[in-house]
Amino acid sequence: MNYPYCKATNPTEYSVVEGLGETAKDQKTLAKDIPCQAACPAKTDVPGYIEQIARGDLDAAYRINQECNVFPGVLGRICTRPCEDACRHHWTNTNGPVQICHLKRSSADHLSRPPTALPGWFPKTGKRIAVIGGGPAGLTAARELIRYGHAVTLFERRTTLGGMMLDGIPRFRLPLPTIKAEIALIVSSGIDVRTGECIDAARLTELEADYDAVVVATGTTLPRPLELDRPTASPPLPAGSIIPGLDFMKAYNDGQVTGLKGDVVVIGGGFTAVDCARSCARAAKRLLGDGGEVSIMYRRTEHHMAAELEELEEIRLENIQVRTLVTPLGLVTENGALSGVRFIRNKVQETASTGKPAILPIEGSEFVQPCHTLIVAIGQEQDRSLLPAGLTAGEGQKTNRPKIFFAGEFLTGSSDVIHAVAQGKAVASEIDRVLMGVERKKNHVTIEQMRHMGDGETGRQRAHDLQSPAPMPLTDIPGRARDNAEVEQGFTKEGIPVAATRCYLCHYKYSIDNDLCIHCDWCIEVAPRACIKKVSRLCTDADGFIQDYVETDVSAKATFIHIDSDACIRCGKCLRVCPVGAITMRKASLTPCLANPS
Amino acid sequence: MQWKSNFERQSEEEEIKAHGLTLDFDEIARRGAMSKEEKLIGKWYGVYASRHPGQHMARVVIPGGVISTTQARNIAGVAERHGQGRLNLTTRQAIQFHWLKVGALPDLFRELAEDGNTTFHGCGDVVRAVTACPMAESCPYKRLNVRPWAIRTQKALNDSRDLDNLPRKFKITFSGCPAACAQPYMNCVGHIAVQRGSECGFKVVIGGGMGWEAYVAQELFSFVPEARIIQVTRAIALLYRDHGDRFNRQKSRLKFVVARLGIEACRQKILAYLQQEGADTAGLSWTPFEESGRPFPDRPLALDSTVGTDGRGIVRVMIHQGELDHRPFRALAELADIYGDQKLYTTNRQNIEIHGLEPAKIPEVEHAVHTLGFETDGFYTLRDMVACVGTTYCPKAVATTRDLHALLQAVVRKPEFAAIQKQAIINITGCPNSCSPYRIADLGFRGMRIREETGSVEGFECTLGGDQQKHGQKLGEFKTPDIPEVVHHVLTTFIHLRTPAETLTRTVNRVGIAPFQKAVFS
Repeated sequence: MNYPYCKATNPTEYSVVEGLGETAKDQKTLAKDIPCQAACPAKTDVPGYIEQIARGDLDAAYRINQECNVFPGVLGRICTRPCEDACRHHWTNTNGPVQICHLKRSSADHLSRPPTALPGWFPKTGKRIAVIGGGPAGLTAARELIRYGHAVTLFERRTTLGGMMLDGIPRFRLPLPTIKAEIALIVSSGIDVRTGECIDAARLTELEADYDAVVVATGTTLPRPLELDRPTASPPLPAGSIIPGLDFMKAYNDGQVTGLKGDVVVIGGGFTAVDCARSCARAAKRLLGDGGEVSIMYRRTEHHMAAELEELEEIRLENIQVRTLVTPLGLVTENGALSGVRFIRNKVQETASTGKPAILPIEGSEFVQPCHTLIVAIGQEQDRSLLPAGLTAGEGQKTNRPKIFFAGEFLTGSSDVIHAVAQGKAVASEIDRVLMGVERKKNHVTIEQMRHMGDGETGRQRAHDLQSPAPMPLTDIPGRARDNAEVEQGFTKEGIPVAATRCYLCHYKYSIDNDLCIHCDWCIEVAPRACIKKVSRLCTDADGFIQDYVETDVSAKATFIHIDSDACIRCGKCLRVCPVGAITMRKASLTPCLANPS
Repeated sequence: MQWKSNFERQSEEEEIKAHGLTLDFDEIARRGAMSKEEKLIGKWYGVYASRHPGQHMARVVIPGGVISTTQARNIAGVAERHGQGRLNLTTRQAIQFHWLKVGALPDLFRELAEDGNTTFHGCGDVVRAVTACPMAESCPYKRLNVRPWAIRTQKALNDSRDLDNLPRKFKITFSGCPAACAQPYMNCVGHIAVQRGSECGFKVVIGGGMGWEAYVAQELFSFVPEARIIQVTRAIALLYRDHGDRFNRQKSRLKFVVARLGIEACRQKILAYLQQEGADTAGLSWTPFEESGRPFPDRPLALDSTVGTDGRGIVRVMIHQGELDHRPFRALAELADIYGDQKLYTTNRQNIEIHGLEPAKIPEVEHAVHTLGFETDGFYTLRDMVACVGTTYCPKAVATTRDLHALLQAVVRKPEFAAIQKQAIINITGCPNSCSPYRIADLGFRGMRIREETGSVEGFECTLGGDQQKHGQKLGEFKTPDIPEVVHHVLTTFIHLRTPAETLTRTVNRVGIAPFQKAVFS
């Protein structure tokens, strides 16, 4: 009972104190609070698995990854890491983001027991689904469809599964056993695999008739053409003078490229260009610097290259030249063989827009780069020849035919493994919804009161944030040349804790019940940094999502005391010091909920 | 600041304490400021940061609540020279200076020491000043004179260097009879003098405390022979030293240890500590017995000037809001020199007493006290309110307790409440730490801020019907300007509902809080 004072409504960031948050506000708060998970296309529970790693349970961490992103060992090596760009450490800390990707790999490297296939969610439905393409998108779709209770047949043109993981990424970045082990795990869940079977339009029409649904996930396999001038009336160049990037990678991974002579030019700035250059350097034993040059020629700046700073550094150590702001114009031949590529220099034209800056050629700046082998890695496109006439993409992953769905790079265009996995998961969910008529599995925001952690203890201290993380141990340069060894060696068991304990564990949520708070400000006093604020106004959007606040340092203007999750380090000191028990520690996570589970 | 990275599971305070508990105040004075670490360890020297930037508080330890007039003059002099002449009386019978610059501290320590005063262990994670009944020597209900035991216990434990680093503070009090005027049930250790047959000794209760999570002390021993009491107290301190939480300071106090381990386990451990120390545990008992001392009233101290069992008079001096100037304090010392036993006694209601008077001289002394501007009546009544210093000085406080004190004085002095003056007391505290123990008062107020549409204003949570063994129930939360009206309703309701001799707390316990809520909220 209280005097009827007019009070501002007690603000809440999640719609429930405990239980399932089913409003848009919950989704938005979760995305704001756990930026790494929000950034991950596959919505990997990053703080969840890093917390397990910090506690020493690497098997549990692997399982979380296996569930979320299907290929922990693979992605732990070659993921493009959108999560790390979003990591809160990346916002403020000079030591860079939490090494989320390396930690994922650590969980795969140091497993105490071999992982097992994940259990299904629903009993057998009797539905049969064909998946075309054994790459990351197809494999993910197959695994998820099996778990929905459907029978899956997976068609692959090549004799082995893996797709781009197998062909497009060099073994010194992604060793074969890692790929094979994780694919075997997926196949073991009961997928009918048909390798060596090439699907054309006619066969696709047959499959459409035979199966309840067909997923086309054949990726991007056609090289994007590059038009270059060549000397008029010159004879055709010898075979192997100009190679599309992906073909080169495939040949390299199949062991068909052993020695390259002379100078190699790689045109492009994407992952494939870098992989090709690094592979060339090895094929030509140029790592040690003998003979000709391997050059990457890219028309924009290093800033726009797909490779991270660390990889660019490695590229230079491997004696690969990187020339940026150059556009190829034409080929130069000598005695019927390729001898060089004519380039023109570019300059950057800064614009007010935030997009990629415009590139302008500099007149009269042409030059010839010596080149005996030209690798063109400017991207790939979909091979649409397998589509029957009249079949076109529809809304989302659907097409204009009810049984046929697109997924992965075939739908999105050239991308990466983590996006392919997300596509595979999405198409499986979509197909299940269409086939069964209801959404049987839904991701909810689950809010859990951490009562068993009564003193709000996560074990974190401010000093954990400020640790200098260990660099990834690398194979030395001679070692890389000798046997195509994996360059990144993975953290040793001793190196893991520093990396793991830096994580803010953003899935924990400390919040103040302003109906209990008495504004004593003790939490503000013990706060390790400016994470708790006196706030005069909270700014909410139409869904009630708190997106900003107006801070004040005057008690009389302070309507609320607010914990800013963006600055919270999850040490729990505020909870422990609160004299009126107004602060709670909760855990927010994205969890699947099943309708009528098996 | 530097962040240490050994990641041990201990509080930052423990880490600082581990590096030593000594400071060089001359060095600090030269530097002109205290570091974060020095501020923590400064508490061992009785020094605390004040709410006002650059100002510090220092607390003079007064064991048993008695000082000689020489010590009193010394304290007055120190206040005059270093503390803007102001003195504050605490609810644990100590005296504080609130306006100290860092540069003054070393001289202050030296000057206090000249007459045997000290601030050492006034604050910090140590055995704090041991308090006792103000009328320990001459109360008609006393079982034995507890004051010497309070002073001796304080000396014995404070001289034990192995008790210098406790998990947090450790508070002991001695009560002369089960009326519990010295508040044994809300201290870490409460010694209550009891009579078993013809023998007098102590009942020992432990694990009480106010603060943000309040506990009522539980009975550890029903009877401890007088002579064993220091050893038993030391054993309790050892239990606390070894079992208090050193990670979460908010759950460190002995009350949490007792709540966690249970009183039975605590007793076994304490007996083991006693054995380990070679103490005789023979006379210790924990079986209940019928206390055979003289029956006592609810509030034995609810009287004004009186004559004690020793035949000597007592004049009480009500200190408005617990704060006074050094000049009247000197004058009180002079009165004690001329008429009394040359001592000043401090009480846990922030007042001062002069003992040892010729009964015939009482009116003369009272007159002298009135001349100084103090009242000599109204103790343990509605107007004898206890307010902690609140936001006037304390960095922890949320509310201006002295403003409410002033507002309520006007209410309780209304003629309509004359008949119930002795039936209720009011305690006002500025934050949940409860330095003024609001939960044990008939009417308790705890400071808070109440949010509005935008911004927030000062207010208080009000509790009703508390005593040491049954804490008050929450009546509601009110903005400060509304509280006089609330108190008016509560007291009016009490007048309607009470039976003649009943205190407000007894009425609330009999009829419940509902009628009061109805009166306030309708």
